[in-house]
Amino acid sequence: MANRKPKTENRKLNWLLPRVLGVVLGGIFFYAGLQKHFHDWDFAEAVLAYQLAPLWLAGVVAAVLPWVELIAGGMLVAGLKRRSCLLLLALLTASFLVVLTVTLARGLKIDCGCGLFFQRQVGVLALLEDLVFLVWAGGLYWWELKAVSSKQ
Amino acid sequence: MSRRGLCRQDLAWAAFLLVLAAAFGLVKHWPLVNLSFQGKLAAHLEEMRAQRRQVQFQGVRTLNLSQAYELFQKGQSLFIDARKPEEYQELHIAGAVNLSPEKVQRGDNPALTGIAKERQIVVYCGEAHCDIALKVAEKMQALGFTQVAAFLGGFKAWDEAGYPVDTSK
Repeated sequence: MANRKPKTENRKLNWLLPRVLGVVLGGIFFYAGLQKHFHDWDFAEAVLAYQLAPLWLAGVVAAVLPWVELIAGGMLVAGLKRRSCLLLLALLTASFLVVLTVTLARGLKIDCGCGLFFQRQVGVLALLEDLVFLVWAGGLYWWELKAVSSKQ
Repeated sequence: MSRRGLCRQDLAWAAFLLVLAAAFGLVKHWPLVNLSFQGKLAAHLEEMRAQRRQVQFQGVRTLNLSQAYELFQKGQSLFIDARKPEEYQELHIAGAVNLSPEKVQRGDNPALTGIAKERQIVVYCGEAHCDIALKVAEKMQALGFTQVAAFLGGFKAWDEAGYPVDTSK
């Protein structure tokens, strides 16, 4: 009887924590997407500055990426298709990690286009922040997948 | 369902969401995408930037690369590097001094009070996209410096042209 309460609390925590973490992560990406959506030309300039995508593709990236963040972030906040949203965000952050690493290696001193509240240059800080988001999204996905598969 | 099956299902939904995002993005930002397909995006952005700067930094004199180099050759002008100190230390225009926007905010800064108000000053930052040079030039004009100009190409254009540079390391 004495052991039951902690187990219930554990179960509650296992249910609540991923949801809270998911909502916070989704909120961050939704806000980031909103910023890019409303400042689309500025974001296109940031994409061009990376000099990675061919010119015709830079516009597509600048148009589509904000919507990936808006849809995945928004749905994660709403609690819809959570694991798929997490997977999409993990993919997004992993790709951005590669882009940042290549840009750092090339020594380009450009605006990262990833600042939530202020403009920031590509640097170690941006790289670390992206890494945190990648671990956050990837870890949460793994956690939720494990929980669902163990139930079935 | 097995873990692998769940993963496959999640991936399929993620792909669907990606397609949905692509559709929304392409429709909502069609003018941007269209310009990009036509290869005119960079030129259009340049035009937009120039228009914005004309409004935002009204009254600030600007210089292109050849005009800046001409002043450099005459040797009378003071070149101000408005980038971060670590970037300045790495490489800067020969003879330039480092004066970041934060230092210019305080008009009584010793770095500023040592400069004659009527001296020809050329301010530059990293590259053509940055506005810091214009901000510093505008602030210096407000502080009473009469011959300030912003070199818009920035250090990148100067370095690529092979003009004299120096390091503080």
